[in-house]
Amino acid sequence: MKRFTSYIKLIVGFGIVITAGACKKQLELKPFDYIESGEAIKTEKDVQSTLVGTYNRAGLSFVYGGDIFLMPDLMASQSVIDWSGTYQELTQMVSQQIPINNAYVNTLWLDAYRINNQANNVLANLDKVTAANKNSVEGQAKFLRGLIYFDLARLFGKSWNDGDPNTNLAVPIVLTPTTEVNSSSYPARATVAAVYAQAISDLTDAEAKAGTSVSFYANSYSASAILARIYLQQGQYAKAAQEATKVISSGAYSLVANYADEFPFPNQNAAHVDNTSEDIFAIQVTAQQGINDLNTFYGSADYGGRGDISLKSSFLNEFEEGDDRLSVYNEDSDGSLRVDKFDNLYGNVRVIRLAELYLIRAEANSRLGTSTGATPVADINVIRNRANLSSLTSVTLAQILKERRLELAFEGGFFLHDAKRLKQNVASLPYNSPKLVFPIPLQEMNANKNLVQNEGY
Amino acid sequence: MKKHLLTILLLCTCITFGFAQNRVITGKVTDQKDGSPLPGVSVTVKGVTGVGTQTDINGSYKLSVPATAKILTFSFLGFKRAELAVTGSVLNVQLESDSKQLTEVVVVGYGTQQRQAITGSIATVSSKEIQNTPVTTLEQAIQGKAAGVNIQANNGKLGQGIKISIRGNASITAGNQPLVVVDGIVITSSDISTTSAATDPLADINFNDVESVQILKDASASAIYGARASNGVLLITTKKGKAGDAKVNFTAQWGTSNPSRHRKFLNTTQWLALFERAAEGAGKQDFLNQDPDNPDYATVEDAIADEKSFVESRFTRYSAGSTDWSKTNTDWEKQAFQHAPQQQYDLNVSGGSEKTTYYIGGQYLDQTGILKGNNFTRASGRLNLTTKLYKNLDVGMNFNFTHSLNKRVDNDNSFGTPLQVVALSPVTPIIDPRSGLLSGTPPGASSNYPVYYNPLINVDNAYFHTNIYRTLGNIYGNLQIAKGLTFRSEFGIDQTNQNEDNYSGTATFRNTSQANGFGENTNTSIIHYTINNYFSYKTLFGTDHSLDATLGTSYEYNHYMGNDIQGTQFPSDAYKQIVSAAIKSGGYSSQSEYSFVSYFARANYAYKSKYLLSASARTDASSRFSKNNRYGFYPAASAGWVISQEDFLKNSKYLSNLKLKVSYGLTGNAEIPNYASLGLFSGDAGYNGVPGQRFYQLANPNLKWETTAQIDAGLELGFFNNRLTATFDYYRKNTRDLLLDVNVPQTLGIATQTQNIGKLYNQGYEVTISSDNFVGKFKWSTAFNIAYNKNVVTNVNKLIIGTNDLNRVIEGQPIGVFYGPEYAGVDPANGDALYWTNTHDANGKVIDRTKTNDYNKAESVVLGNPTPKFTGGITNTLSYAGFDLAFTFQGSFGNKIFNSAGQYMSDNGSNGFDNQTLDQLAYWNKPGDITDVPEPRLFYSNGANASSRYLSGGSYVRLKTVALGYNIPKNILSKIKIDRARVFVNAYNLFLITKYKGWDPEVNSDYQASNINLGVDFYSAPQPRTITFGVNIGL
Repeated sequence: MKRFTSYIKLIVGFGIVITAGACKKQLELKPFDYIESGEAIKTEKDVQSTLVGTYNRAGLSFVYGGDIFLMPDLMASQSVIDWSGTYQELTQMVSQQIPINNAYVNTLWLDAYRINNQANNVLANLDKVTAANKNSVEGQAKFLRGLIYFDLARLFGKSWNDGDPNTNLAVPIVLTPTTEVNSSSYPARATVAAVYAQAISDLTDAEAKAGTSVSFYANSYSASAILARIYLQQGQYAKAAQEATKVISSGAYSLVANYADEFPFPNQNAAHVDNTSEDIFAIQVTAQQGINDLNTFYGSADYGGRGDISLKSSFLNEFEEGDDRLSVYNEDSDGSLRVDKFDNLYGNVRVIRLAELYLIRAEANSRLGTSTGATPVADINVIRNRANLSSLTSVTLAQILKERRLELAFEGGFFLHDAKRLKQNVASLPYNSPKLVFPIPLQEMNANKNLVQNEGY
Repeated sequence: MKKHLLTILLLCTCITFGFAQNRVITGKVTDQKDGSPLPGVSVTVKGVTGVGTQTDINGSYKLSVPATAKILTFSFLGFKRAELAVTGSVLNVQLESDSKQLTEVVVVGYGTQQRQAITGSIATVSSKEIQNTPVTTLEQAIQGKAAGVNIQANNGKLGQGIKISIRGNASITAGNQPLVVVDGIVITSSDISTTSAATDPLADINFNDVESVQILKDASASAIYGARASNGVLLITTKKGKAGDAKVNFTAQWGTSNPSRHRKFLNTTQWLALFERAAEGAGKQDFLNQDPDNPDYATVEDAIADEKSFVESRFTRYSAGSTDWSKTNTDWEKQAFQHAPQQQYDLNVSGGSEKTTYYIGGQYLDQTGILKGNNFTRASGRLNLTTKLYKNLDVGMNFNFTHSLNKRVDNDNSFGTPLQVVALSPVTPIIDPRSGLLSGTPPGASSNYPVYYNPLINVDNAYFHTNIYRTLGNIYGNLQIAKGLTFRSEFGIDQTNQNEDNYSGTATFRNTSQANGFGENTNTSIIHYTINNYFSYKTLFGTDHSLDATLGTSYEYNHYMGNDIQGTQFPSDAYKQIVSAAIKSGGYSSQSEYSFVSYFARANYAYKSKYLLSASARTDASSRFSKNNRYGFYPAASAGWVISQEDFLKNSKYLSNLKLKVSYGLTGNAEIPNYASLGLFSGDAGYNGVPGQRFYQLANPNLKWETTAQIDAGLELGFFNNRLTATFDYYRKNTRDLLLDVNVPQTLGIATQTQNIGKLYNQGYEVTISSDNFVGKFKWSTAFNIAYNKNVVTNVNKLIIGTNDLNRVIEGQPIGVFYGPEYAGVDPANGDALYWTNTHDANGKVIDRTKTNDYNKAESVVLGNPTPKFTGGITNTLSYAGFDLAFTFQGSFGNKIFNSAGQYMSDNGSNGFDNQTLDQLAYWNKPGDITDVPEPRLFYSNGANASSRYLSGGSYVRLKTVALGYNIPKNILSKIKIDRARVFVNAYNLFLITKYKGWDPEVNSDYQASNINLGVDFYSAPQPRTITFGVNIGL
């Protein structure tokens, strides 16, 4: 019994010691799947990974996974498409009645600032990058940041040509990475002019630093191309023509032979396809990473989409006979007319391609009466000839705009963005209707008292 | 310190009652009911003070008495006092229990207590009340049987998530489910389904092995579980063997289930008419909304004609290409359901010798769900064994292994879930005459026919199998160190291995976008260790003072490991494992762990069984919290006064028990993700095959526990020798430092941060009444319980939290309150859906209440509470001449339900071609019509936005269970050497009384259910109505 008692004492003691002694060690458990922020960015390789992560965030479905182009088009293409989708959030855009709690608008806002914060994490750690790579890393991060600020300004602020961009509000500008929530975490909205200026500044830096090697990453030409788009939106035509020329005359890109080749869908099997020679910047989609949300909504069920968008046949009447571009508009197996540009489930999401730059330059030159890089008619004929259409001998602004509408339809949100730029009605609404500007999301209004809501909401 | 305490405790036991005596009497005190020994019975000499002892663990006593002693008094809490004349040197006594209520031994945290000595609030459900209920899980079996314990299934799928709220919802972001403890060991009770729809971790427990379930509700009872007790604690005790001959018990039951309710949708004639009208409504809008400078239509008639031709082309499409649209009239709702047989077999053996007892149980259960494709099987075995190694040491084990297979159907928000079939058009034939296959099956015109993916294709072409292998058990040793002082050491393990295997074949292309199949296989393994070591001490000082004390430590460690692989491109549907996938399209491996280190103590003191005092405390430390705030301290105290033991009531004819009690204490909540306090980066941000990392989580170096302070005041009453008993409890739980996922400005690149912000409270009353209405040959007893709870969020930094349509967290309102635009009906002039503007001033007061057709102009207001105000149940048990009948009504009152699918199924044909509920026929048709259903306008979403239009009352009363049995008379049985035999019929959800128009008012759609998202219906299946027949045989 004595022996037994001491044995028990041992067990008791053991139990207590285990519990108490284990305490410190057992309570400090580190995550397996993540690393702590302080450990994340220490070397050049870490900065590079963070940059890749910025592209990853840019590819989220609500931003350059496609929705950032789909949503403005849905707000402005009522006469071109039939919407039969059941996502309320998108139906509200089609009916131009967007409630402030629209979840798609909120997620787009969040994802845009995810890109921004990720880019800021790269830019705050440039000191860890060797001189040889520093410019390229900085240029790419600024490209992605400039790109998203431009789109945020267009979607959440009044159009550049509507009132005074120096007083109209766009979105907050945040240029430092997030490490904590403090008093500076509640920024007010910057003006439309300030956000455009931020975008132009970032993209100008990117143009200077990102380098000219062509790959699926952004380079100097990607920045020039987006700058051309911004300047056109602002009506700074000379600058638009200059930026477009930088890309066109570089020879780094060329139009694909047939219009339909720009939207590759090899063997009718969904698979990743590398950028075409015409793609200047496109978000990469593979079976493992990324999503093409334009496929989700434009693609018919034949191609793994929901087929929520079908085309009104009247749109096809806008094309001239023999226009090769008609080849991307076909009836699906159920006889609905579809946009076939996004049939590849794993197709890249094009952000900008070379044809747009010919059109930007043609329009800018036409408006200015100049021939920066080429004459308007020469640029338009490049586009027309690729579409198997005859060359024109002269071209009017109206013809240039029509060519632009037909060439770029459903690709970049141009139904809305061009309507605003050109002061055209959007269905029954004038170009400057507050209903054509997104509301500041309710969740953001609730979380940040320094924000003011847009007119009309 | 511990050593000193031990010494003190040991010293205490040395106090004995030594007087000069001249006679020794010995004997044994046993329970009259079953002859089991009664330890701790006080034995005194009548008329002589200062002479007494108490019985030991075997019920034996030895007492020296003066020669003059004539009568010995035996008294023990909960038993009738016995007085016996001294006739020799041996005096054995059988004590008769005073009432079942008071002698009942109640399992409490780290020990047991007698019911009458408890000052906390504990509800008990015994095995008798739950055994053989024809359901899948324990929670379903105890529904409606414990006051203040609100149990709600998400839907009628088998083994699916069930919400248990004990005294309301105490947390907004952290866990809201009670801690579950089986035979002293904390088990993994969090959902481990990898789909967004939860499964029930208690589905792995065979509740026929359960002896009792104690539900610890107030702080006095639960604070011994410290940082995880804020939501209450479920203590499950499994059956143990008893010394004596082996008892064999066999039960088999067979039955079938049906949906407890159906919902009516439009037939072909109605559907065609409604969508013709919707085309007209849309055409009118097309005309109004066109660009005035560049109109598409010259006249409104043109616009209507255009829409009609579009709609009619769809009629043809959905009629399988036939232009004879009214040829077919399919009731798709009925197609979601199937004939659902079930069978269940239970066999257990128990018994033992004086030294060793055992319980061996086994079960096989096979239940088919009412939804096509849904099935649940479970095979489980249990061995509970205890043996006395030495006089003062017993060791034992409780061991359970289970294999369950849940053949699941898709989540409520998937096109593949059977009940979404209701969206299909009645004009669509079940079998497509063009292909001879189920409509929508490829090849053929399957891409846009029928209107959506036909979920019935999943039945034969897709599966989702969840196999769970679970081992749950503990080994323990109990050492009696000295009289009254024991030490218990236990080591417990809960090991869950889950494999989820699913494959969607080529025919499901429209749902999966995968032309050559999609497969996924996920392994989840969770191991949870517990080591408990504690001392228990029980003693009497003199005859009037009793003390029991507990002191111990606990260490818990939990490790999750998971991996997953996904594949596409299978050679044919005959190949279903990822080994055959040409493309491995995704996968992961993942791990995480947490630990708790805890110290706890408790003391209960009673004076003359009249005045009761109790105090407990626990210190918890967890890896989940920041270094700065790793420890939490949880004390509790309570007091009770058994007034009926006072002299002035002792001899009352009617009042047999009256006890007042009050308690106060602190408990915590630690149910947050394992690394919530850390700032994190994630390496899952690759791009086109290049690795990348991303900012993932914002650090909060001060994160700490959520704390709940609870006060409870209660009254227990017994009349007529406790034939009629009642309890009444008032409580208030104030929760502070809420662990809240606070919305931060998303301009930070992140939407939320876990912070300790905010306060809320739950306050309520609970009443239970039970009564033996008839005793004797005809027996009838009734047990009734009802509870009221009020939940108010008092501070969340003025935030409005919530992500779905209407459920929000707002100050001054209950968690998840429905908050949004208020529907104002239909404009009689034009058929527009209207909303009340409810414009607020700066103080939140409504200053303008006019009707508007602009949804955005309608400000959000409080629309209703998704959580019931009252919940309760009533059980009647009757028996006569071998027949027995028990039935339980369960009810829930005062909550609202939001039909989130209303925007599709009840939108007056304004948001797509979904078939509509019957009530939509009352749509506005022409100026002057007064109705609540707006004008149908296809794709114009007229009134389909989330608003009070889709809210309705959710109160209900349900006949939850009925058990009718007949015991075959012994004289017949003895001929065939059978001890007992009972044949029975069990019924579950026999009928329902409610005004709710949906399938079932017991609902919270599985894919979105959360602490905040409550009371949402989204194609959620109704509860099954089940009837089984069975037989129970005892040898």
